[in-house]
Amino acid sequence: MATVAQAPFPLTFGTYADALKLVGQAGAKTVAEFSVTWEAIKVYCALVEDANPSYWDEIYARRQWGGIVAPPGLLLSWCMALEWHPTKARKHYIMALRVPLPGDTLINVATSTEFDCHLYLGDRVSVQDRLVQISEEKDTRLGIGHFLTTEAEFLNQDGERVALQTNQLFRYRTHEA
Amino acid sequence: MAELKQHQKYWGDVSEGDVLPRVTMHVPFAKVILNAAATNDYFPGHHDPEYARAQGQRNIYLNTMAIEGFIDRVATDWAGPGTFIRKRQMQMRASIYAGDTMYGEGLVTRRYQDAAGRHLVDITISIATDEGPRVPAALTLELPRR
Repeated sequence: MATVAQAPFPLTFGTYADALKLVGQAGAKTVAEFSVTWEAIKVYCALVEDANPSYWDEIYARRQWGGIVAPPGLLLSWCMALEWHPTKARKHYIMALRVPLPGDTLINVATSTEFDCHLYLGDRVSVQDRLVQISEEKDTRLGIGHFLTTEAEFLNQDGERVALQTNQLFRYRTHEA
Repeated sequence: MAELKQHQKYWGDVSEGDVLPRVTMHVPFAKVILNAAATNDYFPGHHDPEYARAQGQRNIYLNTMAIEGFIDRVATDWAGPGTFIRKRQMQMRASIYAGDTMYGEGLVTRRYQDAAGRHLVDITISIATDEGPRVPAALTLELPRR
């Protein structure tokens, strides 16, 4: 099988049998480096061209929600790892990246998110995810690998649940050219 | 600044079978790079064409969060800004690449109250490019009542 040129993220390599031992295990709880800011919200809304006044208009947002809220699609971004930190090693909260498997690349496949409440400016998210399932080896148009299903719980700084997300990604090696 | 649209649909205004207007967005190369920066996602498939091709992709592609945001926009452009997205499910069956134009269309499939008394609407949204359907999605929206 072909090998993707460079390791993108700090993937862990191993066998399917190694991976199965981690099913049911939870990753470490991670507190976001990023707090919810209006600047980040505006940049994201510029990306998807979303004019929703809940994200842009303080007067509307205060009346409707009690303040500017974060677009739900930004949920994952708050807990993403910084590219560099002066004292911490770069570490992603996403447990699927640490599951030992042969695949040298990955792609996200499906996601389902239930939202309990909004995130507001200044909020600080924490997340903990758990490995739910690993499929047997599958041969797809992209390559050969395994589908990993994880479940992640996102809380705000008061311990209130913001969202529960089930995610499936495909960890694979491409077919030989 | 032009005034932002604040038109709001109320739960009682919605019927099963209602069609959500089509939303179109062009995805130039710079938008895919903006995507990486806006979501703190530096997985190389989203900014490095050589890596993306080695993965079996045609070019760099949008990440999950960008597609989620576009899906949510299709929903709330139609329903209005006072809508709370209770649930969103999506399947990324094919990628959306730099250079593509993406389209979002939707349909109301159910209007109901849940056990907690919330006034909900289920919709399906299909995200496509000129190459065909890419990402089917299903959402549950909580709408205000008059």
